[in-house]
Amino acid sequence: MRTIAEINDKIHRGQVVAWTVEELKAQVADIGITQAFKTVDVICTGTFEPMESSGAIINLGHTDPPIKIRQCWFDGVPAYAGFGAVDIYLGATAIAESHDSNDLRDQLRINSQRGGGHVIEDLIAGKAVSFKALGQATDCYPRASFENTITKDSINQFYLFNPRNLYQNFIVGVNGSDRQLSTYLGTLQPELGNAVYSNPGAISPLLNDPELKIVGIGTKIWLGGGVGYIAWEGTQHFPLQKRLPNRTPIGPAATVALIGDAKGMSAQWVRGCYFRNYGSSLMLGVGVPIPVLEESVIRDCAVRDGDIVAPVIDFSIPRRVRPTFGLVSYAQLKSGRLVIDGKKVRVAPLASIAFSRQIAEELKQEITTGKFTLTEPVAMLSRDRSFIPQDPRGSSVSLED
Amino acid sequence: MKKRLTLTFPRSTVQFPITYRLAKDFNIAANIIRAQVAPDRVGKLAVELQGDIDAIDAAIEWMRNLEIEISSANGEIIIDENLCVECGLCTGVCPTQALTLDPQSFHLKFARNRCIVCEQCVPSCPVEAITTNI
Repeated sequence: MRTIAEINDKIHRGQVVAWTVEELKAQVADIGITQAFKTVDVICTGTFEPMESSGAIINLGHTDPPIKIRQCWFDGVPAYAGFGAVDIYLGATAIAESHDSNDLRDQLRINSQRGGGHVIEDLIAGKAVSFKALGQATDCYPRASFENTITKDSINQFYLFNPRNLYQNFIVGVNGSDRQLSTYLGTLQPELGNAVYSNPGAISPLLNDPELKIVGIGTKIWLGGGVGYIAWEGTQHFPLQKRLPNRTPIGPAATVALIGDAKGMSAQWVRGCYFRNYGSSLMLGVGVPIPVLEESVIRDCAVRDGDIVAPVIDFSIPRRVRPTFGLVSYAQLKSGRLVIDGKKVRVAPLASIAFSRQIAEELKQEITTGKFTLTEPVAMLSRDRSFIPQDPRGSSVSLED
Repeated sequence: MKKRLTLTFPRSTVQFPITYRLAKDFNIAANIIRAQVAPDRVGKLAVELQGDIDAIDAAIEWMRNLEIEISSANGEIIIDENLCVECGLCTGVCPTQALTLDPQSFHLKFARNRCIVCEQCVPSCPVEAITTNI
């Protein structure tokens, strides 16, 4: 048994043993679970994938005369201002609007590739961004409009606050129709032309703590190259997803809300991105340390790509429940080839496995050099949250009475 | 031999059946890699010519006389390593496996000789790291 306090003490003394999750998996195959448990203190996991349910809280600072911002745009990308006078939330998937047209359909038709994710990346990179705001003139805040050029150094708070990140497993997208589809997994070619998976599998943080026994609210993490924390359960958190005997879920399951100071992040790990005919998003690097408190942690982290599965989903039917071609393992997915319905299908990842590994390595370096210490969770994440669909009131017909 | 060329047609020659003449007069198989042709507009054609070396030289001479501009700079895709995040999404749309992920390191590999410059990877890249020089 170990405690987090003991591990932190070792970190301070420069005696901690940290392994990346892949080193751990290799060591377990070599020396076994018990010996690995005796040796290692912290296991470092990482992922780099699109996480569109992300965004930044920004406090602009007060203008003179002051303004109560009701509508605003960063480089033409609209942000939410329906709270404190100069508090703003810039969402990763907001897309740049054309100011020439008042018709939203026209604005969306311009097919803008620049979105909130790109603005967040630019601010983190230290670039200047144009800012435009309209205010509600009141006795406290008489100003009706404001324009400026801002950087991360000319605003107060600038932190990522992401409602849903770090999916514990996800899906594999394919297209069984006869036309090309533009999706959040990128282009899906007709007649099962390709398949895309977006979770890095056995190296993914939450797949190494399948029952959320270690990671909880308050867990300190590596977020975009800086420091972040798990703030809450994520939206659509669904720990009750069906699971294999090794407790890993067979599809999208747990999620977490993350928070972290964007001023301390690096644009290397926070990238605006765009999926053609789908929209803008944010690719984000997250590293999660898993303290080896007991031997079961090693057993959970030893899980391999062959032991984790994801459902192959046909995107050709745009409904909430889409048809599936069954389950495939991450070992099959990472081979780059699948056989679906007797047809050979090319498989591509959307999570960057190379970057995910680099993040686990970065976190390991920070821990072993004493720069990153661990925290105890202050509360555990819910393990029995169900997943409620949204249906019009009265739409379900009761077959009883 | 094979030779890859980019042909730029002035408006006056856009209606000329160029691949037919290449086949009939020079015995050259012209594989069209990319084309941008419209009536009464300057047209562009990226082609791979396959045939006898003398016939290809003669055909180039003949096309130059028709005022078709010929650039032998091979069109190719360019991957900006500073932008690429090595997600590998492009490897799923690449029809010739010129773009692949190394099965061990998962770094993106580009085999220039397999690329047919179909450009399907260009819009598939979520971070706009791929461009062409055509």
